[in-house]
Amino acid sequence: MADSSGTTLMDLITSDGSSSKPPSASSTTAPPPIDSAAMTAGPPVPMVVDKKSKKGTLMQIQSDTISAAKAAFNPVRANIMTQKQKKKPVSYAQLARSIHELAATSDQKSSQRQLVHHVFPKLAVYNSVDPSLAPSLLMLDQQCEDRTVLRYVYYYLARILSDSGSQGVSPGGGIPTPNWDALADIDAGGGVTRADVVPRVVERLTSESLNEDVEFHPRRLQALKALTYAPSSNSEILSKLYEIVFSILDKVGEPQKRKKGIFGNKGGDKEAGIKSLFQLATLTCFEKTPLDPGNPAFLHRAVQGVLFSDPVAVRHSLEILSELATKDPYAVAMALGKHAQPGGALQDVLHLNDVLARVALAKLCHTVSRARALDERPDVKSQFNSVLYQLLLDPSERVCFEAILCVLGKFDNSERTEERAAGWYRLSREILKLPDSPSVKDLTSEEKDTVQPKGKKDKSSKIRRPQPLIKLVMRRLESSFRSFSRPVLHAAARVVQEMGKSRAASFALGQYIDEGLEINAFSENNDSYDADVNPTAPSEGIRRVPSMSSGMGPKDTIASLLASLMEVVRTTVACECVYVRAMVIKALIWMQSPHESFDELESIIASELSDPSWPATLLNDILLTLHARFKATPDMAVTLLEIARIFATKVPGKIDADVLQLLWKTCLVGAGPDGKHTALEAVTIVLDLPPPQPGSILGLTSIDKVSASDPKSALALQRLVQAAVWFLGENANYAASEYAWESATPPGTALMMLDADKMVAAASSRNPTLAGALTRLQRCAFSGSWEIRIIAAQALTTMAIRSGEPYRLQIYEFLHTLAQGGVQSQFSDMHTSNGEDQGASGTGLGSLISPMLKVLDEMYSAQDELIKEMRNHDNAKKEWTDEELKKLYETHERLLNLVSLFCYVPRAKYLPLGPTRYLLFSTYALPFNVTKSISSIILFTIRDDNVYALLVPDLIYETTKTKSPEPDALDDDLVNFWASSLGDDGAPAMNRVNEFLAGAGTDAPDVEEENIISRPSMSYDDMWAKTLLETTEMEEYDARSSGSSSPDSIGSVETSISSHFGGMNYPSLFSSKPSTYGSSQPKEKQGGSRYSPYEGLGSPIREEPPPYSSPEHQRYESFENPLAGPGSNSYDERRPSSGAPQFGTALYDFTAGGDDELNLTAGEELEIEDEVDGWFYVKKKRPGRDGKMAGLVPVLYVSQS
Amino acid sequence: MLLAVLIANSEGNILVERFNGVPAEERLHWRSFLVKLGADNLRGVKNEELLVANHKSVYIVYTVLGDVSIFVVGKDEYDELALSEAIFVITSALKDVCGKPPTERLFLDKYGKICLCLDEIVWKGLLENTDKDRIKRLIRLKPPTEF
Repeated sequence: MADSSGTTLMDLITSDGSSSKPPSASSTTAPPPIDSAAMTAGPPVPMVVDKKSKKGTLMQIQSDTISAAKAAFNPVRANIMTQKQKKKPVSYAQLARSIHELAATSDQKSSQRQLVHHVFPKLAVYNSVDPSLAPSLLMLDQQCEDRTVLRYVYYYLARILSDSGSQGVSPGGGIPTPNWDALADIDAGGGVTRADVVPRVVERLTSESLNEDVEFHPRRLQALKALTYAPSSNSEILSKLYEIVFSILDKVGEPQKRKKGIFGNKGGDKEAGIKSLFQLATLTCFEKTPLDPGNPAFLHRAVQGVLFSDPVAVRHSLEILSELATKDPYAVAMALGKHAQPGGALQDVLHLNDVLARVALAKLCHTVSRARALDERPDVKSQFNSVLYQLLLDPSERVCFEAILCVLGKFDNSERTEERAAGWYRLSREILKLPDSPSVKDLTSEEKDTVQPKGKKDKSSKIRRPQPLIKLVMRRLESSFRSFSRPVLHAAARVVQEMGKSRAASFALGQYIDEGLEINAFSENNDSYDADVNPTAPSEGIRRVPSMSSGMGPKDTIASLLASLMEVVRTTVACECVYVRAMVIKALIWMQSPHESFDELESIIASELSDPSWPATLLNDILLTLHARFKATPDMAVTLLEIARIFATKVPGKIDADVLQLLWKTCLVGAGPDGKHTALEAVTIVLDLPPPQPGSILGLTSIDKVSASDPKSALALQRLVQAAVWFLGENANYAASEYAWESATPPGTALMMLDADKMVAAASSRNPTLAGALTRLQRCAFSGSWEIRIIAAQALTTMAIRSGEPYRLQIYEFLHTLAQGGVQSQFSDMHTSNGEDQGASGTGLGSLISPMLKVLDEMYSAQDELIKEMRNHDNAKKEWTDEELKKLYETHERLLNLVSLFCYVPRAKYLPLGPTRYLLFSTYALPFNVTKSISSIILFTIRDDNVYALLVPDLIYETTKTKSPEPDALDDDLVNFWASSLGDDGAPAMNRVNEFLAGAGTDAPDVEEENIISRPSMSYDDMWAKTLLETTEMEEYDARSSGSSSPDSIGSVETSISSHFGGMNYPSLFSSKPSTYGSSQPKEKQGGSRYSPYEGLGSPIREEPPPYSSPEHQRYESFENPLAGPGSNSYDERRPSSGAPQFGTALYDFTAGGDDELNLTAGEELEIEDEVDGWFYVKKKRPGRDGKMAGLVPVLYVSQS
Repeated sequence: MLLAVLIANSEGNILVERFNGVPAEERLHWRSFLVKLGADNLRGVKNEELLVANHKSVYIVYTVLGDVSIFVVGKDEYDELALSEAIFVITSALKDVCGKPPTERLFLDKYGKICLCLDEIVWKGLLENTDKDRIKRLIRLKPPTEF
């Protein structure tokens, strides 16, 4: 920094530019420079604001401003040159003062020079302009003749107008300035605020922009421009602007027809030039102001604008038109009318020397040619379509790529599969014909298709020959990939990616386009499209046939073109820029078809990932691409998981475990019943890493060993393994479709298979998926580092609780062994010791496992007890007494609560006492049904809101509370109430109730008793509509803590919900509440392992700039960084819905993974009841195909409105 | 939308910035992101050689001109190619104003004029004038084209 003293923004202010300039005036009365710390001594980077001195600065500036104002009123010639000669920085106040002074003498050359060379340039450094300068600026505007001074004046007036008042919001940048308005408010004695000056500025600018003097028009242009800077929220200025614009356009009237080859600036008389200038100015303003699509004048003027001679004006009008076309394509198409025809004005735009104008044209043509509103006018559509296709030949890449994207159906960020599929169809099938021969001008699309190719060929003009779009596009892309410019490479890769998306959409919709077909065949008869050409044999295989690719030029097939393009794309991976490479890899992922081998892609990615220069965000971006790719083609789940695995192994330090888990989960849920096993296998592969010695990298010792080189990635790998283990435990049951509550195993069989070997054999033969997962988890429980072992033990417990026999028993045995440490010595011999203190229990897990074992123990002993009781009863032919049933129920509840501490189970279905309880219940359920039914009928029939509100809490109380004080009295009341209120209404339900009452009459005491032990029984489910059940279940969600008498219940609700619903989170065992038997040590460890990953991952992400993206990307954002915002997933506590119901729309189809989850169809409207750890409890407006109305769906699948 | 135009010196100090439609609280992120990007990648890059980056759906094109580095950030219709166009206009205007690839000193001397040029090139987040003669005329308050 040799000359660093002269190279900062502040130095700019001190510098006197050309030092030869003499001081023009002496200034004896000039006050000494008042330099505030923040203003002058501030560092060159403007973002650094000295907070401490801020208040002082404000006061300082205030006094500066006042003194400046005072100076302005005094006709004293203060001059900044004096300060500059002393090489001291010039403060803002001094600049302001100079402006005031020089404005008064603006007729003098020297003042003008000073303004232009010193004052204005220096003032530009500041972030915003003090509104108190406005009077002087306006004075300059009025009096000064110097163009450059005036140009600056307009610049600053625009800055004043655009400044919305608060600091930092103006687009300026530079040295920060205070909030002038606030300052003026502090100064009671005549501070100037924006509100004071803006009307004057606007008035002045308005009158200038209406000045019709020919010589004045450049100023007019600038005045209009400055006016557009006013915030668009200001409707007054806006309406004024409209007024001006329309009045000008009215005056210039109909534009003159542009002569071909002359674009405005060369030919034409002065009159026309001025006209075009006005047109330009007004159209520019037009575009910068909010559109009013309902106003026909807009459309009319915009269409006129297409004929203007100035290319920029044409661009603006096309941009306005394409904007309008998205809202009302019919009107735009009709208004454009003959301009779109061959030889019309739109054709001229094709040759217009303005890239952005052509881009706007592409958009306009795309919007019109795809508009549904124009379905009845195929001729109009085909005209626009033909213009769009001609843009594919544009020399500028920007235009050509835009046209390709439009053809592909990628227009805005809304992704519609049909549109995309149609895009791929268009690209692969359609043909570009150049309609410049007048004879074919008015052909309809069909005529074109058939007649034109032949007619053209006869002319044997090479350029004019119709070309298949695909060929054009491929050649263009290939040549772009040979470019040296990185932006071009990046854009080309992006276009290929979009092409892959469209192709995938086309596959997804079952449109198999035979890519092996010769392309030139289409040009002969391209309307012979058969929707299901060759659906069974997708054509990629043909690509491998050498005769095809080595054939002559005209033998091109889509497949061969694609192959050669992809070859070029692959070579682009060699680009230095990682961003280009990332885009190329994304493109490759999208172009990967499910039927091809992906070895090449895999090796490319693997070798790429070895490069340390990849930033983490880009890698996660690619992972999300995999995710999107999976959504488009679920068949590729396994392929994509394989690729994801490469990420996990090669760059564990850079990828976000959450993103990976999301991918796993989506693949698992989306893979369908057949794919689940493979999907889970792919996840578990992570656990087998690195393959030869499972103990080493997972173990603590290996981390110590690696730490010298890369401790971060070693830790991250471990985190990934943890995530995988947890994922396995949480989802193995789902993947294997094995649930205790759906188990087909007859009760008691498992208890007889106590021989462990037989048990394992039986288990694996019955469900290899679950058995495989179990084996892996068991290995992790032994050989991982302590974090992994803990999670593995938890995962095993989850599986034990959720699975039926024999898995439960198998896990029980295993855990028991693990806790005792009996077998540990054997295992220690087999695996390298991880060097950790094994603790008293051998594995160090004893204290953690013992509560788990205790639960399982309790469950087994309760089951034994129950079976024994049942046998006793059977043998003695005794009825079950109410006391016994009550006890049974209490045991059931207690076990449920215990189990819920460990993992989520559906309370309504889970039977911790074993399936045998079903028998008991079906025998003894009838009596309670009676009361239940009555209550339910009452609930249903009396729909009066008040009554409903009155009844519901009581009923819930009844159903959930185990010890209801006086249920019979309540029942009587209800029944009476029901009878009296319905009276002789003749409700159909009345008879049924009477029947029930009659039937139950003899059992009256039982009714009372059974009602106390109310529980969800099977017949109850069957008899009453799901809604009622859901009401109670929902109430359970909400009111369990208050309604249940069990002391454990609060904890259980929290843990159960969080561990199940926290799709992306780590297990929450013991975390939410000190459990009755949880020991403190594992709890602490647990806490540490749960939070550290996020802290580690959160920080790098926060450094990145915030996203500017479609909602889709924001969605991604939310799960990339779960702790970042309040909107993202919470951890343990469930957030109850806050009063008002929220609504949302389903973004995607969602397939329920369990009974509590709800199937969604994209676009369905939902009412969001509650959010729990990344899941919404939603209600549909009407029941779905499966008849369910309410349930849980992932938050990410729903857009909240 | 052309979200930002940023000009920094070789040490990463920001000389000029123009944000459009970027909330004030996000500007700091962008500044540091861009400066870091430049520090990582711009060493040894030739004048006016374009580099590209993206963050989610936002594109960044940047380059070096003399002692200053220029960053342009955009999204939607301002993709990498449109940004290349914009940065090309900006560099040619800069060269025009300064007469050669500017040193930092020169850049600061011409600061006011550069601001006016930028004002003509980027108007409320849209690329406006791309022709360098046109820009030259406009900052002198002359009609954009001769007639």
